[in-house]
Amino acid sequence: MVYLAAAYGAIWFVLFLFVISIFRRQQQIDTEIEVLEDALRRLEQK
Amino acid sequence: MSLSRRLLDILNFLALIAMLIAVYMALIEAPDAINVDPAIRPAQRIIYFHVPSAWSSMLAFFVAFIASILYLITKRVRWDIWARSASELGIAFTIAAIISGSMWAKPAWNTYWTWDPRLTTYTIVLLLYIAYFMLRGAIDEPSRRARLAAVYGIFAFLSVPLTFMSIRWWNTIHPVIVDNPENPNKFGLGPNMRITFMFTNIAFLILFVTLLANRISLGWAEERLDALKEKLNF
Repeated sequence: MVYLAAAYGAIWFVLFLFVISIFRRQQQIDTEIEVLEDALRRLEQK
Repeated sequence: MSLSRRLLDILNFLALIAMLIAVYMALIEAPDAINVDPAIRPAQRIIYFHVPSAWSSMLAFFVAFIASILYLITKRVRWDIWARSASELGIAFTIAAIISGSMWAKPAWNTYWTWDPRLTTYTIVLLLYIAYFMLRGAIDEPSRRARLAAVYGIFAFLSVPLTFMSIRWWNTIHPVIVDNPENPNKFGLGPNMRITFMFTNIAFLILFVTLLANRISLGWAEERLDALKEKLNF
C-alpha cells in the first residue's frame, strides 16, 4: 500500500509541478508584456 | 475573455474531472489482480497510471518529432513552439512514469531499479530530451536555435520506438501489457481490469491535450515577449 501511495503521489506531484510552472511563467510573461507595451506606447506618443 | 482562453478553461475542467474519475476507477473500482502474490496486489494498481504516463510521454515526443519536421519544411515559428512544448511535456510524463515504475518494481522485483533494456532505453530518452533543452539554451539566435533543435529533435526521437519495442525485442523482465505474445488474448489484464485501463488511458489523453494546449499558449506569449523586447532593443 505504501508503494501504491508513493507512486500515485509522485505522478500527481510531477504533473502538479508542471502545471504550476506553466502558470507562474505565464503570469511572469504577462506582467513583462504589460510593462513593455506601456513603454512602447509611451515611446510612440513622444 | 477570448475564445481560446475559454476553450482552455473548458479543457482544464474536463481534464480535472477525467483524472478524478480515473483515480476512483484505478484505486476503488478496479478488481484486485488475482494471478499475483497477495502481498503485491495493491502495487499492481500502479499500472493504471504508470502505463498511461509512459504512453503520454511517447506521444509527446512523437508530436515534437512531427513538429520538428514541419518546422524544417515550413520554417514557421508555430512548429518550433509545438516541438519545444511537446518535448517539455514529454519530460514531465517520463519522470512520472520512471518514478511510478520504480515504486512498482520494489515489491514486484525486490529492487527500485535494474538496468533492464526497457529501463535503460527509457532513461536514455529522458537524458536525450534534457539535452534538447540544454542545446536550445546554448543558442541565442532564434531561427538558428529553432533549426538546430528541430534537427536534434528528429534524431532524438529515434530512441522512442526503440524504447517502446525494447520489451518485445530483447530479453527483459519488464511485463508486456498490450500485444503480449504469451497471452492468448494478447492482453496481460483480465476483462474487468481492461475497462479501468482503457479509461485511465483516455483520461491521460485528455490531460495530455490540455497540458499541451496550455504549454503552447505559454509558447506564444514567450514569442510575443521576445518580439516586444526586440522592438524596444532590450
